[in-house]
Amino acid sequence: MADRTGRYLYAIGRGIDEEEIAGTPGLRAAPLRVVEHRGLAAVVSDVDLDEFGEGGLRRNLEDLQWLEDVARTHDAVVRAATAFGPTAPLRLATVCFDDDQVRSRMDQWHAPLVRALDRVDGRVEFSVKAYAAQPEPAGQAAPAATGPGAGAAYLQRRKEETLRREMAGQDAARDAEELYTVLAEHAVAGRRLQPQDPRLTRHEGTMVLNAAYLVDADEPFADTVDGAVDRWPGLQVEVNGPWPPYSFATLEEQ
Amino acid sequence: MSESGRPVTQTPRTIGVPRGASAAPQPASLADVLDRVLDKGIVIAGDIKVNLLDIELLTIKIRLLVASVDKAKEMGIDWWQHDPMLSSRAQGGGDSGQDGSGGEQDRRSLEQENQELRARIEALEAGRG
Repeated sequence: MADRTGRYLYAIGRGIDEEEIAGTPGLRAAPLRVVEHRGLAAVVSDVDLDEFGEGGLRRNLEDLQWLEDVARTHDAVVRAATAFGPTAPLRLATVCFDDDQVRSRMDQWHAPLVRALDRVDGRVEFSVKAYAAQPEPAGQAAPAATGPGAGAAYLQRRKEETLRREMAGQDAARDAEELYTVLAEHAVAGRRLQPQDPRLTRHEGTMVLNAAYLVDADEPFADTVDGAVDRWPGLQVEVNGPWPPYSFATLEEQ
Repeated sequence: MSESGRPVTQTPRTIGVPRGASAAPQPASLADVLDRVLDKGIVIAGDIKVNLLDIELLTIKIRLLVASVDKAKEMGIDWWQHDPMLSSRAQGGGDSGQDGSGGEQDRRSLEQENQELRARIEALEAGRG
């Protein structure tokens, strides 16, 4: 049987020291290695192609626990790489057959990779999420109204409740838009991501903004967010970071 | 080399009015990590062909993360349309499904309400008659 290992690519950056990054475990505790080529450094580790080949990935990506383990390890390695210089994270599950194939990708994408690294050099990503406060659940229990007009009153109440919800939703959307724009003034770039499912966030409010910002590493961005949010009392704002520049080290924005 | 040598660490914090224990953020939520590692970053085809979007992921939750809004709608994933904050069509909160079960729940709660109202009308009419 042929060699059943492949090279899993975590990130491509500059100046990544193989000895130093070796302290971070790769997938399935495999040691990390650095493939250098034309001034770029790719962080890789060996993976079993039974697990990370086409069939294995197809099967394993269905497994939420597997996915979480791999995603968190991937993220941890990418974070470790950012200690050395600008880092472009690869998307999850980028696997080549050997180091030569890794180098050929670095050749093929050299110019856009260099541009992506230049764009994120000295910068980090912050996540800003805003949640709208949930309206009080009015009209849960039907009141013990009797007599003529009870039905009309009920319908009126339902109508008002719907209207109130609509207005609260519009307010929250407008607030979120303002927040996004104000924070963008403190960032090099901003992107809106899909709002996350409430069951994933385990948050009782509805997510009205899921934004990513690219900011200079010395910019006190979290403090900026902190100082700005009082303007929108209807929003609860969560800032997370710094992240590696996942949302900005991309090839498509050339 | 610039300041980029600064290691990236997680310093999550929540700003604004805390709304109970659920407001406490995770160091890096799985949703946040998956948002990024599945959908962002450098997309270069390796030797192993895998299209993350084509994979029939078992859990609809992950699908939500990787699907675009339009694609999600095609697949009937439209939880936001059942969310009272985002749509007037929705009534009440709760676990509104993204595969149509939310609509089913809405209908059921309406039916129940309808039955209760009928019962009250009957009682009222009986009282008068």
